Amino acid sequence: MKFTRRKFLQAGSAALVGLSVKGDRPIAGGFVNDSFQMGHLLRDRASFPPPRRTEKHAVVIVGGGIAGLSAAWRLNKRGFKEFVLLEMNQQPGGNSRWGENEVTAYPWAAHYVPVPGPKATYVRELFEELGVLKDGVWDERALCFSPQERLFLYGRWQEGIEPAIGLNDKDREKFRKLEDQIHRFRASGGFTIPMERGLSREQADLDRVPFSEWLRERGMDSRIVTWYMNYCCRDDYGALAADTSAWAGIHYFASREPEDKGPLTWPEGNGWIVHRLLERVGSYVRSDHMVHHIAKEGRGYSVRVGDTEYRAEFVIFAAPTFLAPYVIESFAPLKDFHYSPWLTANLTLDRLPATYGSDPTWDNVVMNSPTLGYVDAMHQTVRSQVDRTVWTFYWALAEGAPAANRQLLLERDWSYWKEAILRDLERVHPDIRTCVSRVDIMRFGHAMARPIPGAIFSEERRKLADLDGRLLFANSDLSGFSIFEEAQYRGVGAAEKVLHHLGGSS
Amino acid sequence: MGILLFITVLLIAACGLIYELIAGTLASYLLGDSVLQFSTIIGCYLFAMGIGSALSRYIHRGLAYRFVWIELMLGVIGGFSSAVLFLAFAYTQGFQLLMYALVVVIGILVGLEIPILMRMVRERYHFRDVVAHVLTFDYLGALGASLLFPILLVPRLGLVRSAMLFGLINVGVALWSTFLFAWQLPSTRVLRALCLLVICGLGIGLAQAKRITAAAEDNIYADEIILARDTRYQHIVLTRFKDDIRLFLNSHLQFSSRDEYRYHEALIHPGLSAVPAPRRVLVMGGGDGLAVREILKYPQVENVTLVDLDPEMTRLFSTHPMLTGLNQKSFLSPKVHVINADAFPWVDTSADSYDFIVIDFPDPTSYSLGKLYTTAFYKASARHLSAQGLMVVQSTSPMFARDSYWCIVETLKQAGLKTYPYHVYVPSFGEWGFVIASSHEYSPPTLLPAGLRFVSVDGLPTMFQFPPDMSPMPMPPNRLNDQVLVRAYDQDWKDISH
Repeated sequence: MKFTRRKFLQAGSAALVGLSVKGDRPIAGGFVNDSFQMGHLLRDRASFPPPRRTEKHAVVIVGGGIAGLSAAWRLNKRGFKEFVLLEMNQQPGGNSRWGENEVTAYPWAAHYVPVPGPKATYVRELFEELGVLKDGVWDERALCFSPQERLFLYGRWQEGIEPAIGLNDKDREKFRKLEDQIHRFRASGGFTIPMERGLSREQADLDRVPFSEWLRERGMDSRIVTWYMNYCCRDDYGALAADTSAWAGIHYFASREPEDKGPLTWPEGNGWIVHRLLERVGSYVRSDHMVHHIAKEGRGYSVRVGDTEYRAEFVIFAAPTFLAPYVIESFAPLKDFHYSPWLTANLTLDRLPATYGSDPTWDNVVMNSPTLGYVDAMHQTVRSQVDRTVWTFYWALAEGAPAANRQLLLERDWSYWKEAILRDLERVHPDIRTCVSRVDIMRFGHAMARPIPGAIFSEERRKLADLDGRLLFANSDLSGFSIFEEAQYRGVGAAEKVLHHLGGSS
Repeated sequence: MGILLFITVLLIAACGLIYELIAGTLASYLLGDSVLQFSTIIGCYLFAMGIGSALSRYIHRGLAYRFVWIELMLGVIGGFSSAVLFLAFAYTQGFQLLMYALVVVIGILVGLEIPILMRMVRERYHFRDVVAHVLTFDYLGALGASLLFPILLVPRLGLVRSAMLFGLINVGVALWSTFLFAWQLPSTRVLRALCLLVICGLGIGLAQAKRITAAAEDNIYADEIILARDTRYQHIVLTRFKDDIRLFLNSHLQFSSRDEYRYHEALIHPGLSAVPAPRRVLVMGGGDGLAVREILKYPQVENVTLVDLDPEMTRLFSTHPMLTGLNQKSFLSPKVHVINADAFPWVDTSADSYDFIVIDFPDPTSYSLGKLYTTAFYKASARHLSAQGLMVVQSTSPMFARDSYWCIVETLKQAGLKTYPYHVYVPSFGEWGFVIASSHEYSPPTLLPAGLRFVSVDGLPTMFQFPPDMSPMPMPPNRLNDQVLVRAYDQDWKDISH
């Protein structure tokens, strides 16, 4: 008798916890800035009009993301002005695009740059120019404010994303082991940003195994450690540890040695950098200019946009490299370039959800969620009172095959994704639906390079990166993974090669 | 009689569950950590029910009589449980002990109910039917209660009145049982009288429930509350005890009218008197107008700009007669300009310069307040200092929050300023600290406005001396990206209270 009565008592308590009144509040929004249609025109080799006009430029940069804009920045800084930058989208910036509403500016994708180490010389040069680094001191206002990150696990928030509560001795031991290994790899000098500066054949073996397998073989897999490793891989590569090269997994940890508490971030994320770059090189940028054909023409190249033909001595192809076979005449198909599909959403909050005893942070992650959590755009405000904000929600579709997930991104409508996002957030903010007034969603079929085993030491990748002719490649995917520093390094590097051919600075 | 009996079962099952849910909810509200509270309370309660069931075997005779008594006791104890717990939380230290004691007693009584009831009716039905029917209604009652509780009772009645309502049901069952089992009872008159008495008691309680919760909340503030207001930014409470008026913002004491002159004289005069010919003064925070009152003692000051976040606060201190009496209507002076704005963005965008800047914010209890104590904020503020200008910062207690105090001093240094720390004794606060900061040398003034009650020329040098128990601590600066001050302040007060 008592056994069953107890069940009722428990059911009673469960009912108390589970039954809460939900406010029904209309939530507006939709898909924004989709590039699918344009991408598919290229893929399906749609017919484009024949050229009617011709323009001549010494250099044409294809793609206005960080790589392309950085190439432009370097050319312009060296006093070279004979170039144009052709961007397919209405808004330049690529993965660093940003948006703005009546509450705040907010990022659409990349939202921070780790405090660069001494080897990232181009990044440091840029930040010195932008006033973020002054006399060796990083600008306090550009560094992420306290408190930076939190993780929700076991029904509560902890400070920091690496799980610190509820660990048993085994977990602690495994984390310690991992730390030792990382320390060793860091000391080896083989894991740097930019990656080319340290890349060494000695570590080529690491690129042959999946990161998860490498961890398992060394006894660094427990439920908690595995969750954390998967989180890190999803965060930087959009892939699970099982789909990530061990070299790339190690690079995530071993490449960074911040000299200040960071990272560098702004309300609009890396859009802030794009904004500053556009102030300098915006006059060279032509938006809504989708390049559909590139072919050799005499000494140089012909680049076609709509019915206009651009004749260029040099082409810097800074768009994602996977587009090359669809755009460049007689370009062999690629096999080593893989990409992860992503979805980001910007949620406008008209009021803040209850805090439940934890200070809201910049980056907010929930353990065992398939998503990557959210970043608060109002975190970098100096205001002490905030009552409205925008959250950028990140979701790398890492489980399963990228192609299937791309299909899913295309097939499901806005309200499917909106519901999925709100349900995910409801786990930690039960009152979220009463706070949100808009959910705008951006879909990225090929958001970032996916460093699967073999990607880093791929011959194909190496060949394209090392090209030194009149067609140069510059996208971050030439590093095997997509981060700001790599994109900038490739872009500046391509510009340097062009300047070298043209006889140095003018 | 069958159906009446089973309705009885249904009702007492509901009552039992409600008391348990109330204890769990109350503990979650007051102590937090709802998972822990609910788990331990359910555990204790079930265990106590087990004890009750075990004890039932020692009851041999007079089953109906004892059943009525159990219902009466449950009515009283369960009915008043929530009110007693609320008051215990406000007035005693023993809330948790009392809560678990109540849960155990109620659990034992509830554990006794069903076994006794089953034995009372076993003569009349097959054992098989008794068990089946009693348990069915028992569970139905539990289901009903568990649904009613979150949907209707908590939002509509609140915890105090819900408990009393179900206490009434328990007593009702007792009364009704005196009729239902009259033939098994020795005398029904006394029992019925008792039932009516308890019903009256609970009825009065139900009517007075508001006053009980109010009494519990009042005790957090020791004195009479003369004003309580929730603004968009904070909870403002004013209390009075005889001639002592106190202001609390979010439950933190801001001043006591008995000794605030010590605080505000010490905040203003050591700095302002040292500025040659001060004309323009900026105050950030200080929405009570008391610092401005001190500033207006300098006739050469032409303009006082006060930046405070909360318009309700400055309006209150401009209009409420008791408060304008305290600040001597300082906000009504034509020299004073009140700007209701968030201070940090305001200093970032304003272009004016000032001869004296007063930074008087609430203590750094949160990361959002902590931003107003960073190198970035002090740098931005110092840009507004005129060539001869000085800045003074309210800097918590060098005695109770020693790390925090010296952290603020270090932060000002790292912002590129020379610092002159000093402290005074304010009885309602204890030892309190300030820092004068400037880009040039400062030395204490030799002339002060007439009529000061606390700061004197002779006393000034001693303020700048720190005895060993308040002497400097090596601390890192507080920066936007590494707010060590908020953590240090939290730790300082934890160390004091343990």
